[in-house]
Amino acid sequence: MVPLPFSLPFAALEVGQHLYWQLGGLKIHGQVFLSSWLVIGALLALVVAGTRKLERDPSGAQNLLEFLWEYLRDIAREYIGEKAYRDWLPFIGTLFLFIFVSNWGGALVPWKLIHLPSGELGAPTADINTTIALALLVSLAYFYAGLSRKGFRYFEYYVEPTPIMLPFKIVEDFTKPLSLSFRLFGNILADELVVAVLAFLVPLIVPLPVMFLGLFTSAIQALIFATLAAYYIGEAVHEEAH
Amino acid sequence: MIDPFLAFPFSSLPLLAAEGGLGLNLDPFETNIINLAIVIAGLVWFLPKVMGSILERRRGAILSDLEEVERRLQEANAALLAAQQDLAAAQTKAEQIRIEGKSRADAIRLDSEQRTVEEMARLKQSAASDLDSEASRVSEQLRREAARRAIERALAELPGQLDANAQAKLIDRSINTIGQA
Repeated sequence: MVPLPFSLPFAALEVGQHLYWQLGGLKIHGQVFLSSWLVIGALLALVVAGTRKLERDPSGAQNLLEFLWEYLRDIAREYIGEKAYRDWLPFIGTLFLFIFVSNWGGALVPWKLIHLPSGELGAPTADINTTIALALLVSLAYFYAGLSRKGFRYFEYYVEPTPIMLPFKIVEDFTKPLSLSFRLFGNILADELVVAVLAFLVPLIVPLPVMFLGLFTSAIQALIFATLAAYYIGEAVHEEAH
Repeated sequence: MIDPFLAFPFSSLPLLAAEGGLGLNLDPFETNIINLAIVIAGLVWFLPKVMGSILERRRGAILSDLEEVERRLQEANAALLAAQQDLAAAQTKAEQIRIEGKSRADAIRLDSEQRTVEEMARLKQSAASDLDSEASRVSEQLRREAARRAIERALAELPGQLDANAQAKLIDRSINTIGQA
């Protein structure tokens, strides 16, 4: 629980309260899993429903999905490059869609109607574990992309354009997942908290601008995460013109 | 602990509710349901307008592209059909020309053969008639020569042998010959 210097009702926002599940020796955050499953289920349902009956005349969900696909392809192609983007489009697209639907689901679905024994449902991306997992996946992805495309020549990237860059590039490998995960987690959690606090102070109308702003920033965060992931992968597979 | 905000009806609920198990929380203020309803209503009102127009424009572009492509397919099919018909016409015409040429060649060949045969026959005939006339001329000449020689010899020999006796015998023989004939 966030330590507040005074004991006010909005201290009961239950920040830091989790629905713990015991899995072997691990204590996992059950509410994150529940909402992740819901997000994944919603995405799968949308994709399956939208692609079940493909027609030449794109209408409804098929049109929306094709539009999203084109949008994500443009992002991937712009940042990864013409040669390698096809390999990474599914990854970038999955990141964007999962984060976007998580963020908007957290902001739009009235999760608090469901009362859990402990903790509360919300956006899966408001939990640092989710965002760290996603960011580490991005790290693995760009290492794999660079090594599989260039072999050990990938490490030339660390001494380009000059070997002076070596320490900075090494540090970058650690700061990339750190900044990715904290940016997303911080934005979403802060948005949820601001809305919750404002709703506690003034229950009606006043939280609305913040909620709309939250929708906007949530979408932007999903875009930023996907774009940065694509950019890192693109950087790793980029071939210097010798 | 004295809670100064206990006067608010929603302030103490989370603490109490946290003790319970899985369930529904229907407090309209604590769940922020009213604001959420407004936000969702706003989105439902706003998103279909924006997204709908974007998606409709996209669909229209795709449909017009499809239409254009289909039109071009039809044009190409029509052109293909016309070209095929032209090809068929050209083929029949070529066949016709070939047959015509063949028949003309046959006719010319036949004609020339016939003329050759005729010419040959004529040549043969004229050669034969030349030969005949030459032969008859030669035989005529020979005959004349023989007659002339015979007359000469006769004129040469006759004056020595001819007398009244021989003349009478000759006349008798001639009369006999006439009598027998």
